[in-house]
Amino acid sequence: MKTNFDSSQPIFQQIAEMIEDDILNGTYQEGDQIISMAQFASTFQINPATAVKGIGLLVGEGILYKKRGLGMYVAEGAKQTIMGKRRIRFYDEMVSKLLEEAEKLGITNEDVIEMIKERTGADRK
Amino acid sequence: MSAILECSDLSKSYGKNEAVRHLNMTLEDNTMYGLLGPNGAGKTTLLNMITGGIFPTSGVVEASGSRLELGGMPPETCYIREKNLYWRGARVMEILQFASAFHPHWDWPFAEGLLNTFKLDPRKKIRHLSRGMQSLAGNIIGLASRARLTIYDEPMLGLDVLVREKFYSILVEDYANYPRTIVLSTHFIDEIAKIVERVYIMDAGTILLHDDVDHIRDHAHVLTGSSEAVQQFTNDKQVIYSEPYGKGSLSVIYGTLGEKDRVQANQLGLTIEGLALQKFFSYLIEGGRRIE
Repeated sequence: MKTNFDSSQPIFQQIAEMIEDDILNGTYQEGDQIISMAQFASTFQINPATAVKGIGLLVGEGILYKKRGLGMYVAEGAKQTIMGKRRIRFYDEMVSKLLEEAEKLGITNEDVIEMIKERTGADRK
Repeated sequence: MSAILECSDLSKSYGKNEAVRHLNMTLEDNTMYGLLGPNGAGKTTLLNMITGGIFPTSGVVEASGSRLELGGMPPETCYIREKNLYWRGARVMEILQFASAFHPHWDWPFAEGLLNTFKLDPRKKIRHLSRGMQSLAGNIIGLASRARLTIYDEPMLGLDVLVREKFYSILVEDYANYPRTIVLSTHFIDEIAKIVERVYIMDAGTILLHDDVDHIRDHAHVLTGSSEAVQQFTNDKQVIYSEPYGKGSLSVIYGTLGEKDRVQANQLGLTIEGLALQKFFSYLIEGGRRIE
């Protein structure tokens, strides 16, 4: 979980992503309870309304759900939902950015593919 | 949400010097505000007026729907001044006891816990406390009073980063459990940016901007690129600051940027970046333009 907020994005979205990251990396399993709004506020020194907004975003997407009087829990299938959503964003943001930068540097698409192959090959060794 | 405090067309002059000029401000229930402004902006004068310490030259302060009269304090308000006017010969505990008598929601176990957390000796006399410890004494009163409206003027003065962070944590947690209206007037802008929901940015006695912090984050952009490109892009946008550098220029705009804008910026070879609140604040003050 990252603990720094950057200025490029509203904090509530960053909070939502932090929770998503924790679900993706297994810190939270499906069915687990996440920390309370007051704990969020105190731990990250953020306004409680911001935490509520971030959590609300995930409730709206069916990633978290509320048990009345108990708190917020990770929904069944949450991980799958997040992966699907992030996959789209991976394409929209990261792949496009990569190709944009490549174009600026005069690197062809073929070169980029070659670099990716080289990189994954190096990682496997 | 309803307003707990409202001031309209508020002005205060000292001779020829207008400290506050035709200022409007509304504080809603259960909201945390930041009041930001450079030295001499009129922040303390404003706070003194809305808490009944000084009377406005003209204009009205309304607290919970009724007009604040000369010498009147708004109900259920706790005002922690920068220069605390507590009797300097009194002990910390005596000051807390005095404060507890004024605030019906005062929480003693909480106050004692805070003395412990911040290692403030309740037997010490105020005049023997360091500047930071004096700030803490005030902050403990602000927290433990749980007043419906709590106003802090420079609460972080003399406090090191560890103590400030501890204070922020306790403040937001207590605010989550006991919602109320809190105003933080401070120069530690980036530190309170994630704590407060709304900010009032003040300069030369007037409000330059009041908005949600999230909204500002979404709307404040800094552009860099060639002067013509920046000029072309910012033509129909609200520019709050601009500055040439070399052949290029830097421009700070306030507004939403859609997909179309991003594509255009890209074509013009412009770089668009977000802005931290403190940087945005500096540009806004430097530019001196008001945002409606």
